[in-house]
Amino acid sequence: MSKDGSAMIFPSLMSEAIKWARKNSLWPMPYGTSCCGIELMSTLSSTYDLSRFGAEVVRFSPRQADMLIVAGTITTKMAPVLRSIYDQILEPKWVIAMGACSSSGGIFDTYSVLQGIDEIIPVDVYVPGCPPIPEGLIHSILHLQKVIDKSLERRPAVRPSPEDALNAMTYSQCTHAALVKSAYIVTKDGVAQNVSEDDSKKP
Amino acid sequence: MGNAIAKNAEFVQRQVLATARIQEKYCEGRELTVDAVAEPILWARSVTDAFELVQRLRADDVLKLDYLTDITAYDNVDGKDGPKRFVVIYQIFSTTTHVRLRIKLGVDLQEEPMSWTSLWDGANWLEREVFDMFGIKFKGHPNLRRILMDERFTGHPLRKEYPLKQREQFPDNVPLHLGAHPVPSNT
Repeated sequence: MSKDGSAMIFPSLMSEAIKWARKNSLWPMPYGTSCCGIELMSTLSSTYDLSRFGAEVVRFSPRQADMLIVAGTITTKMAPVLRSIYDQILEPKWVIAMGACSSSGGIFDTYSVLQGIDEIIPVDVYVPGCPPIPEGLIHSILHLQKVIDKSLERRPAVRPSPEDALNAMTYSQCTHAALVKSAYIVTKDGVAQNVSEDDSKKP
Repeated sequence: MGNAIAKNAEFVQRQVLATARIQEKYCEGRELTVDAVAEPILWARSVTDAFELVQRLRADDVLKLDYLTDITAYDNVDGKDGPKRFVVIYQIFSTTTHVRLRIKLGVDLQEEPMSWTSLWDGANWLEREVFDMFGIKFKGHPNLRRILMDERFTGHPLRKEYPLKQREQFPDNVPLHLGAHPVPSNT
């Protein structure tokens, strides 16, 4: 504001300012269900000090969080709970799948475990490891900051729905199969393009 | 190291004495074996016999078996341990004499062993777990529901015929308290 009350904000820079604010104040909502949760706590504590990247304010209410860190095995019984927490986080929101279990089910390829949380919620960054070292999680948050900075299209075309969470027990018939088949790349303009091959075109 | 061996010898001696007493007073034609760490394994004759046996064992003044460590089971589908389909394992322990005893009980598909909840409250959740995983129903259990799997689940996953990777589909899926589908922010 200038002295006479007229606005001095440049609209073209406003989006940049919003991006800068968002990427430097990622408040995490921890969802630690197993040993990855211990590494998450270690990352947040003084040795690794996640507050260097503006992500130290852990919120245990999803309504106050920006970033959901799913750290641990998600069983099918837990899937609707995780989905309801994701739905309660206000937009814009980002999801980090920390560790092998939340990324792909890990070693638990069984009757009771979700084979990756992307069956029920969209994921921005996958962190490999069992569990990942704190540096790995810090790297993923730095990567997420880059994603926010470049305004990359993060959402896959086929979003898992709440029904997917309810039907997470179905191993083979969930709509997640459609999600896996589609592959998207991001062009320089920030537009997502579908590069997935049509099954009918294959010989 | 020497201390560990001495301690182990003391433990083995204790177990041997307990085994002798069990053989003398509680065997009565039941099969009694000893495992690699000198722990007596007593096979109950029938589903009703196991409960009567443990009631007597619990009242024993010398053994003082007062603590239920675990109840579990395994699928005896290949028939290695008798003709019964499942074998339920009860692990009991004495907090004063430090003696361990394992009671094994063969259970068929239609049979219902007695619940031990009247003797130990800790048997409640353990029996629920055995019911959840194997489908063995315990007679007289106050609250025999699933404890690990979803309540809508119908199978019993630790039975050998259950496919390892098979998740179940629920026809009666009702929407839980999930919020409305969020509107995408970039449209």
